Amino acid sequence: MKVEIVMPQMGESITEGTLIKWHKKKGDAVKKDEIIYEISTDKVDTEIPSPENGVLVDIKVFEQETVKVGTVVAVLETNGEAKISSAEKKEEEIPSTTQVGGEIIDIPMPKMGESVMEGTIIKWHKKVGDKVGRDEIIFEISTDKVDTEVPSPVEGTLVEILHQENETVAVGVSVAKISTSGGIVKPKPEVGKDQELASLDASRSGQDYEPASPSGGQVHELKVKTQRPVASNRFYSPLVLNIARTEGISMSELETIPGNGIGGRLSKNDLLSYIQRNKTGAPAITKSEKISGEPRKIVSGQRSEIIPMDNNRQRVMHHMLNSRDTSVHVTAVIEVDMTRIHNFIEKNREAFAAEGIKLTYMPFVSFAAIKGLKEFHLMNASIDGNSIVLKKYINLGIAVAVEPNGLIVPNIKNADEKNIRGLAKSIADISNRARTKKLVPDDVADGTFSITNYGVFGSLFGTPIINQPEVAILGVGTVTKKPVVIEVNGADSLSIRPMMYLSLSHDHRLVDGMLGGKFLKFVKEVLENFDTSLV
Amino acid sequence: MQKSYDIAILGGGPGGYVAAIRAGQLGLKTVLIDKDNLGGICLNWGCIPTKSLLKNAEMYDAMKNHSADFGISVQSLSFDFGKIIKRSRDISDRITKNVELLIKKNKVDRIRGFGKLVSKNQIDIFDGDKKTESINAEKIIIATGARPKTFPSIPVDHKNVITSTEAMNLPAQPKDLIVIGAGAIGVEFAYFYDVLGTKVTIIEMLENILPIEDKEISETLEKSFKKRGIDIYTSTKVEKAEVKGNQVFVTIEKDGKKVELKAEKVLSAIGVTGNVEGFGLEELGIEIEKGHIKVDKQNYQTNVSGVYAVGDVIGAPWLAHVASAEGIHCVETIKGLNPHPVDYSSIPGCTYCQPQVASIGLTEKKARDAGYELKIGKFPFMASGKAFAAGERDGFVKIIFDAKYGELLGAHIIGNEATELIAEIGIAKSMEATYEAIVKTVHAHPTLSESIMEAAANAYGESIHI
Repeated sequence: MKVEIVMPQMGESITEGTLIKWHKKKGDAVKKDEIIYEISTDKVDTEIPSPENGVLVDIKVFEQETVKVGTVVAVLETNGEAKISSAEKKEEEIPSTTQVGGEIIDIPMPKMGESVMEGTIIKWHKKVGDKVGRDEIIFEISTDKVDTEVPSPVEGTLVEILHQENETVAVGVSVAKISTSGGIVKPKPEVGKDQELASLDASRSGQDYEPASPSGGQVHELKVKTQRPVASNRFYSPLVLNIARTEGISMSELETIPGNGIGGRLSKNDLLSYIQRNKTGAPAITKSEKISGEPRKIVSGQRSEIIPMDNNRQRVMHHMLNSRDTSVHVTAVIEVDMTRIHNFIEKNREAFAAEGIKLTYMPFVSFAAIKGLKEFHLMNASIDGNSIVLKKYINLGIAVAVEPNGLIVPNIKNADEKNIRGLAKSIADISNRARTKKLVPDDVADGTFSITNYGVFGSLFGTPIINQPEVAILGVGTVTKKPVVIEVNGADSLSIRPMMYLSLSHDHRLVDGMLGGKFLKFVKEVLENFDTSLV
Repeated sequence: MQKSYDIAILGGGPGGYVAAIRAGQLGLKTVLIDKDNLGGICLNWGCIPTKSLLKNAEMYDAMKNHSADFGISVQSLSFDFGKIIKRSRDISDRITKNVELLIKKNKVDRIRGFGKLVSKNQIDIFDGDKKTESINAEKIIIATGARPKTFPSIPVDHKNVITSTEAMNLPAQPKDLIVIGAGAIGVEFAYFYDVLGTKVTIIEMLENILPIEDKEISETLEKSFKKRGIDIYTSTKVEKAEVKGNQVFVTIEKDGKKVELKAEKVLSAIGVTGNVEGFGLEELGIEIEKGHIKVDKQNYQTNVSGVYAVGDVIGAPWLAHVASAEGIHCVETIKGLNPHPVDYSSIPGCTYCQPQVASIGLTEKKARDAGYELKIGKFPFMASGKAFAAGERDGFVKIIFDAKYGELLGAHIIGNEATELIAEIGIAKSMEATYEAIVKTVHAHPTLSESIMEAAANAYGESIHI
């Protein structure tokens, strides 16, 4: 049986991905769960495993090509065992779309800005059955911010219009479906517009289109979408599958909904609240930032070489520019005597290593920063227009350098509930996953405060850029032994101490020098007087 | 010297001692404080000793009333009430000692004494009025449980008007007994004493006995109890209870008419109230609502940060297994493990009279009131081969599904071993199984559990044996 492998949906707001590397080539045998390719999206990079054992019989997308979510990137022949499991049959019985010889692409109401929740379709430029070219305008919309024309992301045939002119639709809701190749849709012959729509509705509830070749006459064989979710082996309870079927939510859409059930499962409540959210058109949780998808040309000369930025680099670039343009950065620096923690680490390094924990300064600095955030709530906030959004949870971002030339800031969820051990483990976990491209969009969403450790490279102090929409970032310098003047029994004396600079960049729109300074001093005191017996 | 702990737990019942063991497992320095034997009401004066008494009753009931059905003849059958009580006390003793060992094994310090909160980090320990020591703790978990609730109109003297504590430890079997309140505790004692030959009368204010159970279940139990000869007054208010000599006179009001009943003992089983007094909660400003501590059910923290509470002391559903689940969740949250919250919509409830009653989730009425369209499946044990063979053909399984999405909303079982059967539904419900998952799971034959499969199938018209 041929299994189509599609660009997976990696998060609610992610619409496309760039194929950065093929691990297999055409004709290669692949095992189930073996990595077949790597993708980069505007949130994370990840590796995609094969859904089945088989042979890669076709590769449709080249490296560096950016394609929409759901696009077929390869075809797998599963050893001729054309056995269809009952689970697959189930899926076939829920044809939210009917495929006409190609891939069906949902055209959603586009997101026109952070605060725009819905748009009104003011004009359809195409009608069902029309061919559309890539980037050809298919409809016009009006939102409370701007009016705009929406181009087609693919070449194909408009097979279904789900919302008519003057209908107002929430952002992200599908308004049309385009078939990317193969046959075209021929509406039931000689029917008026109303009937035509009625027949389309009927087709949604299970009937098939009647396709024909452009010249009419020859009928193509119908192929029902048997696309399997390839991004994960996620488990869905029978109840969740029932709800999805009843509410017309596809498997690929299910894949995108974050789960809060036992072991991260998607629970009934997760799904029902997702459906509710979509109905009311509330904004998506994750923030997406559109990266320019222009084709990149490589031109190398004698004196210089032009290297295209990878997605991560582009993302970092945009985030940095955005942060600089958003926040009023000021930086304060404080010096911390790390003697207690230094001694504790020296003494306990091996004991912790035996537990599988690499003991570094980071969990201690994180712990102290979290204590500081609890003391100074404004540091754990963001700005929304003229309002301050105080966060009652602490998701602590940790900046991780990603080879060869990237950076990502995943965060530790509810970091305030963790002790030193927990923090050490979490830091190791997210750093490892960042480096091995195992992060999920949730890992980088919803951070409340970040820490960057440039000290590992030997820097004394720096002036870090704030991770938006947070209002401050703590920079950790290297710990070095230095002569310092200390007072013993009223007399000054010189002592050699492991010292560290902490720098705090804060957004002066919200955090003034006084608050920033108090926070830094608090963190310093926690670190210098650290009660190591609590570890 | 003052000892310092990561966690101090006040109260050694199923909430406290389980939390302590979990904390010990997680490497937290933990102390468990209780003035009595560990195990709380459950192991000392509740679940365990009463189940021991009820086993005696079941055996005696079978021999006395059903032996002939099995071709067994029993002559001069008799029992020794004192030995029945003693057996239950011995079992309770042994099991609480096992808990002490478990506590030790998990490196939890055990302090025998009455703990009083002095601050959110300090507990003083008293032996009577004498302060014996003082400990420090970063976090404190209150698991002081609950005690039988009393009303002024039914003055408990612990001799003639008694609570469950005395009812399981009476010096002699009473000739007659009036049980006020037909919740699980009330009906279990009613069954126990009825089997032994005490004349039992039950008075319940609400419409049915076991009023929180599904109405069909309650009505079935009522019929069974009436058949045994237990007098039942439902929708009946108790005006007053008075002790005169060695008799208690209970005035009730039924359909506007006053009736006076009398009995040697009256068991007041009208619910429980939290143990929230006398150990420093008010001084610390801990919020108390209707006799129970108010907590955030995400982490069981009280309004005072660092002070937590679990189990009966935080209110309904007053069940040992819920207290334990809350205790574990609370400790894991403190440790930063981010555990999955306790699912209060999937808590099983069990009553151990015969026939047994067990349930989970919504009753039919509650499901309808919540606006669900229902698919209900039922299967009587009468149609079960195993029940037939065992001579236990009373009762049925009732399973309630949401018609729209197929969600398993609730299940209600009355009959032999109902309390063991409910576990299957618990897993199915918490894993969000639908009827299909239950029906397509092959159940062993012959077992009572087949009845669950059949009831689920029945909801969709697919039952084989009815």
